[in-house]
Amino acid sequence: MEIFDKNFEEMLSSQTVSIIGGLAAGTILAVYTDKILLIPGMLILLPGFLEMRGNISGSFASRLSSGLFLGVIKPNADVDTKIIKGNLIASFFLAILLSFSLGLIAFLFNFFVLRTLTFSIILIPVIAGVLANVIEIPLTLFVTFYLFRKGHDPNNIMGPFVTSTGDLTSVISLLLVMVII
Amino acid sequence: MKTVRKHLEKLRTIKKKEYHPLIHKIHKKHKISRKTLFYVKEYGPHTNVPRTIIKESAKLLVFASIISSFGGLALENIKIIFVSIMPLIILLPILNDMIGDFGTIVSSKFSTMLYENKVNKKWWINRELRKLFLQVIIMSFIMTLISFAMAFSVSIFSGYALNTKIILKIFLVEIIDVFLLVNILFLIAILAGIYFYKKKEDPNNFLIPITTSVADFGNMIILSALVILFF
Repeated sequence: MEIFDKNFEEMLSSQTVSIIGGLAAGTILAVYTDKILLIPGMLILLPGFLEMRGNISGSFASRLSSGLFLGVIKPNADVDTKIIKGNLIASFFLAILLSFSLGLIAFLFNFFVLRTLTFSIILIPVIAGVLANVIEIPLTLFVTFYLFRKGHDPNNIMGPFVTSTGDLTSVISLLLVMVII
Repeated sequence: MKTVRKHLEKLRTIKKKEYHPLIHKIHKKHKISRKTLFYVKEYGPHTNVPRTIIKESAKLLVFASIISSFGGLALENIKIIFVSIMPLIILLPILNDMIGDFGTIVSSKFSTMLYENKVNKKWWINRELRKLFLQVIIMSFIMTLISFAMAFSVSIFSGYALNTKIILKIFLVEIIDVFLLVNILFLIAILAGIYFYKKKEDPNNFLIPITTSVADFGNMIILSALVILFF
């Protein structure tokens, strides 16, 4: 039984990329911990908010890759096609829906458990979610097309890429919105 | 060619409720891959693409968010201790990504094994499955060491005071968390994978959201419990 085969090497490289993105996000979080703690309930929405980017953009990249391999989507990054437009609309809608859900859960926790009314806990993830996705979704689209055009299988690369960049854009946008609000 | 087109057109009109036998028929008769047929059925010219995607993903994604929020609740309860240990804050997104990725790897590889008929009733003696388990365990150990070293380097560089006792405790928290979750994810992926495959559903569509949610939720819960235990 050969453990250290090609599969192991591929997993190792993708995990390393993933760790680097997580490290950057974790470092930013650690530096601005005091700001995050200013609003009660932020730790409730944080894990879901970080996960959301991977769930939405990861599935988006996966659908694009399937379409590209099947020849249904042309790899010229022309967004004016039914499938791509549909995917973009759906991804943005899901991002807003999930950000709102996360904010609402944190708000309800604050209201029922901590007895505080913090409407900003709903507003922050929604604005930050939109901001992060304005960067993340087009980035996912163009990188998937680029990789496909260069002869790579986007399925092998987009997973760790999306989780790494997603963590970074999420944390930065969350902090940015918190500072603004 | 005409019959293929006729069949494909028929496929496009079928509503997605469950795996339709027509897919199997066209796949066998015209040698068109299942993936192509599935894509035709899901995103054909008469379908509303955003509606299809939202309808199929929204419930599961909202459910995953709720699960993650419950994990976040556990963290919120130990907020004071948690935020006072800088390496743990740095490790939080790393662990979430890493364990979630292991869930995805195990799910997709096990789904492929099921499709290739490589898994029988006695799955625990399956050679390929054992190999995958060993690979993931070794990988998780290597990644734990790397992430631990990275988090500590950043903490020390930022001026965070550390002693041998804290270093050992954080290492134990991380290694126990990762090891427990990898085992749980493996078991869930196998049991749920066999269950969905027997129900003639594509395990890929269920295993990845299930394992990533369990990974996130489990990570928060186990991490919180270990922090309470050790600190």
